[in-house]
Amino acid sequence: MKYRHTFLSIVLAVILAAPSAAGQQPTAAETVGGCPAEPLAFHTCALEKTKTFNPPRTPSGKPNLQGYYRARLAQAFSVEGVSGSEPLVKSSVMPWTLAPPMIVDPADRKIPYQPWAASIGRIGENYTKYLDPRTACGSGGVPRVALQDPNHLLQPPTDDYILWLFEDHHVHRVIAMNGNPPPGNSIKMYNGNARGHWDGNTLVIDVTNLNGYNWLDDSGNFYTNTAHLVERLTMIDPDTIHYEVTIEDPKTYTRPWKVVWALMRQKQPGFELMEEACREGERDSLRIRQSGYEYYFGESWRGR
Amino acid sequence: MRRSFLIAAAIVLALPIGAQVSALPRTSDGKPNLQGIWQVLNTAAWDIQDHQARLDEPAGQGVVDGNELPYRPEALLQKRHNFENRATADPVSKGYLPGVPRIMYMPFPFQIFQSPDFVGMAFEYGGAYRTIYTNGTRHPTGPINFWMGDSRGHWEGDTLVVDVMHFTDQTWFDRAGNFHSDGLHLVERFTLAGPDHINYEVTIEDPAVFTRPWKMTMPLYRRKERNVQILEYDPGLLLDQQQAERERRKPN
Repeated sequence: MKYRHTFLSIVLAVILAAPSAAGQQPTAAETVGGCPAEPLAFHTCALEKTKTFNPPRTPSGKPNLQGYYRARLAQAFSVEGVSGSEPLVKSSVMPWTLAPPMIVDPADRKIPYQPWAASIGRIGENYTKYLDPRTACGSGGVPRVALQDPNHLLQPPTDDYILWLFEDHHVHRVIAMNGNPPPGNSIKMYNGNARGHWDGNTLVIDVTNLNGYNWLDDSGNFYTNTAHLVERLTMIDPDTIHYEVTIEDPKTYTRPWKVVWALMRQKQPGFELMEEACREGERDSLRIRQSGYEYYFGESWRGR
Repeated sequence: MRRSFLIAAAIVLALPIGAQVSALPRTSDGKPNLQGIWQVLNTAAWDIQDHQARLDEPAGQGVVDGNELPYRPEALLQKRHNFENRATADPVSKGYLPGVPRIMYMPFPFQIFQSPDFVGMAFEYGGAYRTIYTNGTRHPTGPINFWMGDSRGHWEGDTLVVDVMHFTDQTWFDRAGNFHSDGLHLVERFTLAGPDHINYEVTIEDPAVFTRPWKMTMPLYRRKERNVQILEYDPGLLLDQQQAERERRKPN
């Protein structure tokens, strides 16, 4: 276990050389988009703000989300947060940082796992047995890909598509706004298929056709290839997007649940995404596998 | 009757002059609208030059103007070495990004998105993307080694001209081992030739490998299937799955 985190920390230190918002601890006075810097308090406050804030508009009158963003109030360790009782907080190699849960629903702020799934997520079987699929250079998947490195929302004036680019492993998502149906159910993809529409000032993205090969966080929390996600992006001020994802997968959870964070506009002059090649320079995943960790290709591979 | 005939004749006569320009789909800022899903129909990803069929590699007519590549003598030896070892030495066989221009003629679709400030390209192959800035910005100061290079574009009349540099020396032009150095410099020209065709032209300059610039030309075809969309081809994932299957079958 310790071995693994040595590698992870090296990978992270090299790949994520830029300081990241992930894991930052809010101080008392800190606010995000004028809301408290804690996911649930931010969520409650942001939903109020969405009722009155009039976002900038595209020429056709749609909310203009275009720009570069980076996640705030998010961390990669666990969507359920990191408490002081977590042993990894005391890791000498890459200590986890205390963090509140990113889950805002249900009220206990825990993933409502079915009994079979609880011991697989939550630093369970996935974490102890498998190589994190993101470490193997797979896509972080939805929503994890939007969590750590900067991303770029491009909104062509034709309103028929939105292109969402991520620095993390050079992932792209094409969000079809044209009402086309999703592809057949047997076509599964890391990032799924994204169909968007506007609900007032909110961009709603319906995600289906997921292959379930990705994890939600470093703890191995997961969904399967029957999951259905609904993302909601709403500006609460000119530089802050309230980002909410509802995760539904009856096979894995007893009820749908929600995570929330903020996407903050990157305002440095001349800011652009860099290229993050992953597999092309990856050195560690073979050594991690040689120490016993297996590739993770979702539920259908478990126990093979 | 006669008048309508005259009008019709006038329209037909006007076509060769006016229609070429006015019939092109355009964006709200008057630029040719390159948006849509495109794909080549050629064998350049295997070999950009004339070549006969090889196992799992279709025969094809080359896309290089004049067919011959102006390699420096020592570079030609390297190319031959690459060709002999292509099954394992081709960076694409390891699941790496194909680089530019090869990504443009991989046998997979890609989608173009267009705004006044950028042209975005999302590729099915490898989840690769390109952002071509058309906002007047220049290449950042190097040294930078991007697998997909750094792209800055501008419009010359109805042609999108893209300058690409800051490459690695790790990508090839094709499966046949044609290669370049990290001093590669490209000028690409995208010209909409009709509602469903783009003429794609790329000039390659790399003095460390070639004695002079050379050029490739090919059409990009619009994918017209109903509900066609970009799917995922993740070569890294597929190679890892193959490896996992191999290890699983191996007796302990």
